[in-house]
Amino acid sequence: MYQWPSGTNPARPYDRFAVTDIDRIRNFCIIAHIDHGKSTLADRVLELTHAVSDRDMRAQYLDKMDLERERGITIKAQAVRLAHTAHGHTHELNLIDTPGHVDFTYEVSRSLEACEGAILLVDAAQGIEAQTLANYHLARDAGLVIVPVVNKIDLPAADPESVARDLAELVGCAPDEVVRVSAKTGEGVPELLDVVIERVPPPQGDPSDPLRALIFDSMFDPYRGVIVYVRVADGTLASRARIRLMATKVETEAEEAGVMAPEATPVGKLEPGEVGYLVTGLKDVHHAKVGDTVTLAGKAGAKMPLPGYREPKPMVWSGLFPSEGGDYSELREALDKLKLSDSSLVYEPETSRALGFGFRCGFLGLLHMDIVRERLEREFGLELIATAPNVEFHVLRNHEISVVHNPSEMPQPGTYDQVKEPMVLATIIAPTEYLGQVMDLCQSRRGEQADMKYLTPERAEVHYVLPLAEIIFDFFDQLKSRTRGYASLDYEPFGYEPADLVRVDVLLHGEPVDSFSSVVHREKAYQYGKAMVERLRGLIPRQMFDVAIQATIGSRVIARETVKAKRKDVLAKCYGGDITRKRKLLEEQKKGKARMRRIGRVDVPQEAFIAALRVDQKAKS
Amino acid sequence: MSAAGIYVHVPFCLTRCGYCDFNAYAGLDHLRPHYARALIAEAEAAAPDWAGEEMVSIFLGGGTPTTLDPLDLTGVLAHLRDRFEVVEDAEATIEANPDTVDREKLEALLAAGFDRLSMGAQSFDRAVLASLERIHSPDSVRTAFKAAREAGYQNVSLDLIYGADGESLESWERTVREAVALALEHVSAYALTIEPATPLGRKIAAGLVPPPDPDLQADMFALACDLFRDAGYRHYEVSNWAKPGYECLHNMGYWERRPYLGLGAGAHSYRDDHRWWNVRPPEEYMTLVGAGRRPTGGEEHLGPSDAFLEEVFLRLRTLEGIPASWVEPERAEPHLQGGLLSEAGGTLVPTERGMLLLNELVLSLTSASTPPVGLLNM
Repeated sequence: MYQWPSGTNPARPYDRFAVTDIDRIRNFCIIAHIDHGKSTLADRVLELTHAVSDRDMRAQYLDKMDLERERGITIKAQAVRLAHTAHGHTHELNLIDTPGHVDFTYEVSRSLEACEGAILLVDAAQGIEAQTLANYHLARDAGLVIVPVVNKIDLPAADPESVARDLAELVGCAPDEVVRVSAKTGEGVPELLDVVIERVPPPQGDPSDPLRALIFDSMFDPYRGVIVYVRVADGTLASRARIRLMATKVETEAEEAGVMAPEATPVGKLEPGEVGYLVTGLKDVHHAKVGDTVTLAGKAGAKMPLPGYREPKPMVWSGLFPSEGGDYSELREALDKLKLSDSSLVYEPETSRALGFGFRCGFLGLLHMDIVRERLEREFGLELIATAPNVEFHVLRNHEISVVHNPSEMPQPGTYDQVKEPMVLATIIAPTEYLGQVMDLCQSRRGEQADMKYLTPERAEVHYVLPLAEIIFDFFDQLKSRTRGYASLDYEPFGYEPADLVRVDVLLHGEPVDSFSSVVHREKAYQYGKAMVERLRGLIPRQMFDVAIQATIGSRVIARETVKAKRKDVLAKCYGGDITRKRKLLEEQKKGKARMRRIGRVDVPQEAFIAALRVDQKAKS
Repeated sequence: MSAAGIYVHVPFCLTRCGYCDFNAYAGLDHLRPHYARALIAEAEAAAPDWAGEEMVSIFLGGGTPTTLDPLDLTGVLAHLRDRFEVVEDAEATIEANPDTVDREKLEALLAAGFDRLSMGAQSFDRAVLASLERIHSPDSVRTAFKAAREAGYQNVSLDLIYGADGESLESWERTVREAVALALEHVSAYALTIEPATPLGRKIAAGLVPPPDPDLQADMFALACDLFRDAGYRHYEVSNWAKPGYECLHNMGYWERRPYLGLGAGAHSYRDDHRWWNVRPPEEYMTLVGAGRRPTGGEEHLGPSDAFLEEVFLRLRTLEGIPASWVEPERAEPHLQGGLLSEAGGTLVPTERGMLLLNELVLSLTSASTPPVGLLNM
């Protein structure tokens, strides 16, 4: 989402954009590694094309915003329509935002699909990073014209010439075709827009064909329902038209079609090549999914949707439990509400013997998981216990595949033919001096090197095929610490592979604690089990009896620790002046006990679950 | 009316010990000469409220009461006997540090009517005393004890502390054996407890000193239980042993929830589920009393469940125990089986193992936390 730069005034009369010849439209996005200046460049572009700092206009802008608020529209600027004049003609530029994280690769690919060109932005001091490459490959595969740009040329540490050479080599152009800008100072940005208009081709499409518009983003507005962002490929999308969403087969009325200019501005219709928004009147984002095709309802509708639609597929799973038993219904309500605005979130009720009632949730990735957890805690005021994240396993038995996304549901060894786990193809870019460290890490995480190449004598790009399960446990932290923060990582799904995986259970006093179960590679099972029981020994308070903590595979104990019975728990002195305080201490102790979870006969504090599940990540490295 | 007691707090010490979180101060020498006057003034003002209440015990504690002039101590005791209905054979205890008494002073205290002497020996191991930051030596304990006997004291108690940094089970055994050899009437032996707001608490928090090992302390407790039992002592409360008939009547009052009047800085008073306490700083206390005002710093009224919890956890500290009818049988049963409780004549009494796990015992017996009907009319 764009943050409007302060001091700019996006308010412009809409008619400046009216009736644009398709040849004057340019749809593009900016792709970059994190912190390479994407947002700053977007701000500069907005300033350039809406350069109005006049106080009247400012006031008008604010008035307009208030009006917007009264109308109850809160539309994020996911695709902004801008005007730029080049060669004596005013062009319509649609700048389309792309999420910048590996979790959202599919969403990125849909945004790219809405463009004909991409500005590939690289920091002149940092050079090409893993996300630069990942995004470049995505954009190239989507058939986009790449405009290579070196940013931050004003930095003292900048080396624009060498970065431009690398970039030219990557995209296959001459170094002098690489545009140099400073998004911070604005240097080179007007020229960049000219280059975009020159190099990025205009869209194509016939307004008289059956309508096909790609949904590349969707959101839920509490007042207006589901709003989708679309790029019209063929035909005409008119307000009030009866429309059909081809993947979900939902029909509705196009309540309002408009463009972000940059505030939401209704237009009568959107034509081929145009980018805008559509108020659908739907109440559930799951009916309007990213990647779906909008067409007209009935006979006028298109026969074939635009290619590339995919159901959002959770990659990472975790159990979420209210930290206090009574909040289950609150958690359910919060998830139901969150789901309205997050079409990728999936969840199903889960009952844990250790943690009670909760939900097993599927996320696109670790970032998505963190976002959801944080929103649940911040926006809904919930206190949660999250189990360690795990991937989805495919268990083959008698030629049937069952999908397991909860380690405690993993069948015992010997009861199935094979287990497959999801793999990723990881791209890591690191200074060559750290290559050894990077390779050690990948090898220790069951990685297989696919290839390696030197980007420069100092920097190399390596590809590894790794189990996703190994990535979701502190891999990135380890990578950063082993390379002093110089390595960058990106990865993409790479199918499923058979693996020798086993379920390690943890038993307290003979009772299995389902939330501590984990599926790990057989060679790492002992190390994992040992680390887990040692960790728990320090977290489980002493009870009135010896508590055995065991890690098991099936019926075989692979590690064991004992929490010795408590022998002394008494207030030594208790005379007249002590009684009040000691009574309160006892009451505290009683409350503490009430907050504990009982596993069989063992009282386990909440903190032990949280700490054990957290350290679980470290135990794997 | 039930047999009540009077506690008098003297907040002065020669030095502060690192583990102590009592309301005690070193270096307030300028207040000492005037403190007895404040005590007498407070007693004077409180006396009418306690009219008709039979006082069976008086206890001068601290701090170090013997830092006051023996004449002052004599005066305070005489005043209490004069203004309150103190029974003829009331127990009158005074606490003393070995270094603050000699035969002459002890004779004066005995003559004044303090017939029970409680001395803070803590240990007979020099290293342990040093670790506790006690200024006296094992020899001064022996000397003071001898002086007490010579002065005519026939009821002497020693305080011991076990589990200080550096104390081994063997060292503790030597201390207990030496205490036994003295043929004391009474011994209090406390597991060293770390209070966060003390110099020792801060050292442990900072990792400069290891915290006491609860398992070693449990072994030390068991050892004390064995040696004192063999020597004919009755283990009548978690940390107290006495020759039969020498149990401290005053302290029993706390555990039986009898009323007590507390006089002095920070002293607590209790009567009929009402507890109140004086301001802690001696100077503030003395100023309030000097101005003719009550030095009360706070109070609480106990509701039924608080009162029940107190009743259970205080009584279970002692061999008095609680009536079996107070708890659901299924709550007591596992502890009778597990050897933490024993039952005799309808009374549940903690075993020595039960005493050591008293918090757990109390919590599991009371977690229903509703007092049984009828208790409050007792």
